[in-house]
Amino acid sequence: MFVYVARRLAGMMLVMLIVAAVVFVIARVVPGDPAAVMLGSSATPDDIAALRGRLGLDQPLYSQFLIYLSQIAHFDLGQSIFLNRPVAQALAERSELTALLTLMSVSIAVAIGVPIGILSAAMRGRWVDQTAIGIAMLAASVPSFWIGLTLIKYLAVDLPWFPVAGYGPPDASLLERLRHLVLPAVALGIPNSALILRFTRTSMLDVLSDDYVRTARAKGLSPLVVVLKHALRNAMIPILTVIGLTAAVMIAGAIVTETVFGLPGVGNLIVSAVLRRDYPVIQGALLVVSGIYVLINLSVDLLYAVVDPRVRY
Amino acid sequence: MKPFTRSLHTTLLGATLLASAVATPVGVALAQQPSSVVTVATIGEPPTLDPVGVTSDLVSIITQHVFETLYTFDAEWKVTPLLASALPTIGADGKSYAFPLRTGVTFHDGSAMTAEDVAASLERWTKLSPRGKSVAPMIEAIAVTNPTTVTLTLKEPYTPLLSLLAMSNGAAAIVPRGVVDGAAPLKQFIGTGPYKLLEHKPDQHIRLVRFDGYASPTGPASGYGGARAAKIGEVRFVPVPNAATRVAGMLAGQYQFADSLPAEMLGRFKNSTSVKPVIVKPFGFPLMIMNTKTGVMANQTLRQAVLAAVGPSDMMLAGFGDPAFFAAEGSIYSQGTPYYDAASAKPYREGSPKKAAELRKTAGYKGEPIRIMTSTQYDFLYKMSLVAQAQLQAAGFTVDLQVLDWATLLQKRGDEKAWDAFFTYHTFVPEPSLITVLNPSYPGWWDSAEKRDALAAFNRETDANTRKDKWVALQNRFYTEVPSIKVGDFYNLAAATDKLKGYTPAPWPFFWNAELSN
Repeated sequence: MFVYVARRLAGMMLVMLIVAAVVFVIARVVPGDPAAVMLGSSATPDDIAALRGRLGLDQPLYSQFLIYLSQIAHFDLGQSIFLNRPVAQALAERSELTALLTLMSVSIAVAIGVPIGILSAAMRGRWVDQTAIGIAMLAASVPSFWIGLTLIKYLAVDLPWFPVAGYGPPDASLLERLRHLVLPAVALGIPNSALILRFTRTSMLDVLSDDYVRTARAKGLSPLVVVLKHALRNAMIPILTVIGLTAAVMIAGAIVTETVFGLPGVGNLIVSAVLRRDYPVIQGALLVVSGIYVLINLSVDLLYAVVDPRVRY
Repeated sequence: MKPFTRSLHTTLLGATLLASAVATPVGVALAQQPSSVVTVATIGEPPTLDPVGVTSDLVSIITQHVFETLYTFDAEWKVTPLLASALPTIGADGKSYAFPLRTGVTFHDGSAMTAEDVAASLERWTKLSPRGKSVAPMIEAIAVTNPTTVTLTLKEPYTPLLSLLAMSNGAAAIVPRGVVDGAAPLKQFIGTGPYKLLEHKPDQHIRLVRFDGYASPTGPASGYGGARAAKIGEVRFVPVPNAATRVAGMLAGQYQFADSLPAEMLGRFKNSTSVKPVIVKPFGFPLMIMNTKTGVMANQTLRQAVLAAVGPSDMMLAGFGDPAFFAAEGSIYSQGTPYYDAASAKPYREGSPKKAAELRKTAGYKGEPIRIMTSTQYDFLYKMSLVAQAQLQAAGFTVDLQVLDWATLLQKRGDEKAWDAFFTYHTFVPEPSLITVLNPSYPGWWDSAEKRDALAAFNRETDANTRKDKWVALQNRFYTEVPSIKVGDFYNLAAATDKLKGYTPAPWPFFWNAELSN
């Protein structure tokens, strides 16, 4: 196990180095200039050139890249051009929200997707199954921003149960911040629950047709025990994989939902940085996100051994 | 019911009850805000909080509460004192401006404002601000004359100086000389305004709190001028990029003011008893800037042909929809403002495909593609550019419409060989010489000898009536040489809670003198 984890972590370093290089090149190749964005539409080319000089953007690309690599080697993600603070600090400020939102939305997706997926498989071909498949198709087809705006209209404006947007006032308690995340988590969780539902159903159907399940039924075990104790555990590996991938994608992929709900999360940070061409933030954020992505995948792989004793590392 | 189904039903029922229990008290708690806090939903995060180096409207809206200038504009867009105690004493040759300073003004760090602070801030403005840099070549000296007077000496008379000093973007903000570091952006945000910066969390909020040591100018409040009182304890700016969310937040009572709302959202407020729409006139004008320096549009006759080919009314209608929010107006200054003149803007309405075709032939146009840059980041600009494309094609032009993101457009427009025209907009400015297209180094590079002479004559003139005549002459040049097409005037939709009393609509909304009623 230790050797396996060490090997995966070494691979992760290589992945991150490649990500660093690719992101650096792509950010610079795409047209656009942070100096022009910062100075606004009234700025003249002379003003822009002067600011580029102050920001060090007039240096040759290889020189900028060497500075960047040197910073990474010292665990320094650089200084944001726009935010007037280190990139690491900007990411840290958004990490709580992103972590909580990911956790809540994945929990909602799992809470909806897994039980209904199991139920659907257990009642294959019956009206429950047909309804579940139909709802899953609908949930997967509806964009999360529409769900978000609908939730805002009915549950925040017409019925003022939840806040419309934001992450709470500056002195908000953790509970109050969590309440700000309920609607975004639902808006994110519903479309993702459809994916988990479909995977759970398919995986369960595979397992439910196995001989040992038939044997368990023949022994007179209750349907609940057969499905939850014997079948579900063996069906969990693909389900865990899709849950892990969903969580990883949500860390930086909740951009639309974050925009609709005015949430200052990591996804929003990356999009703003791209629009403003804030190179250090783009590079730093994507580097960290890719690291987290790899770590989540590693954690899922390790979980395989927990749910299935046949898996050994 | 089978055991499996029953247990699932029990679980779902429990989850529903739990969700209801959590949700119900939430809205009640969150709908309430301390009465002394006004939360303003803005279109996004400002690029900086230093108002000197940039001309961003969003930066102005926020920082004008923190930083002050020597002068500002009153309700009639006339220059009026702010940190100065009176209008300057101008030398007989029109070159020296002696600014008398108010006494008893303190900065947010508790130090008193001195003439040295003012001189250092003005020096910084000439090095960092796009507006200050445009005046810098004309400035001979900035000197402290005595503890309450700073004198700025010009090499030649330049009438727009006071207006430039009064602007809140690219602002000549007065800061303690200790925080001035050449032309570097500010690291400490210390001003003299009625509000001071408490906290800035990017993408979350900017908190400005009442400055108890504020020394207000005297006189009745008028526009940005006159007495200022911070009646609201805290003004909190929160970035909410999605317009629908800004509207929903207003209707739910989460925000007390929301800026820059799409015109089609007006109907959402009609049935609301707690939110009132605010329409701001004048606000801005879209421009189709043409490259007068290089390429196919460097041909003046062809630019005239383009002006004749496009239909500004259709473009404005496509951009804004509701006629309550725009006017197809050719005069660069809209009706009701001092520099309005319809006669010199006559070519604006003379357009026709037939005239366009004649001018196109005269210009020797051979079907070269006209590269027009636009961006979906500003929806109204994108819609206008689509209409312009169709109209130009109908008039026989070949159009290459390039849809770019805004950052790319801003970069690309600096390259004179990369484009022939681009769409942008200009916010209302009280002083004509502040209009960007008049600056020969602004992309488009309008710089003919006749325009230079007309602009110089306008900038030298001190008499208000004669100045209007000189402006009319300059607008005539604009419509003769067609460096840009002014598409029309558009207005801004904002929204305020009906509890916000004493708020004065303005292009750059401000919240001193406003208060929240119970």
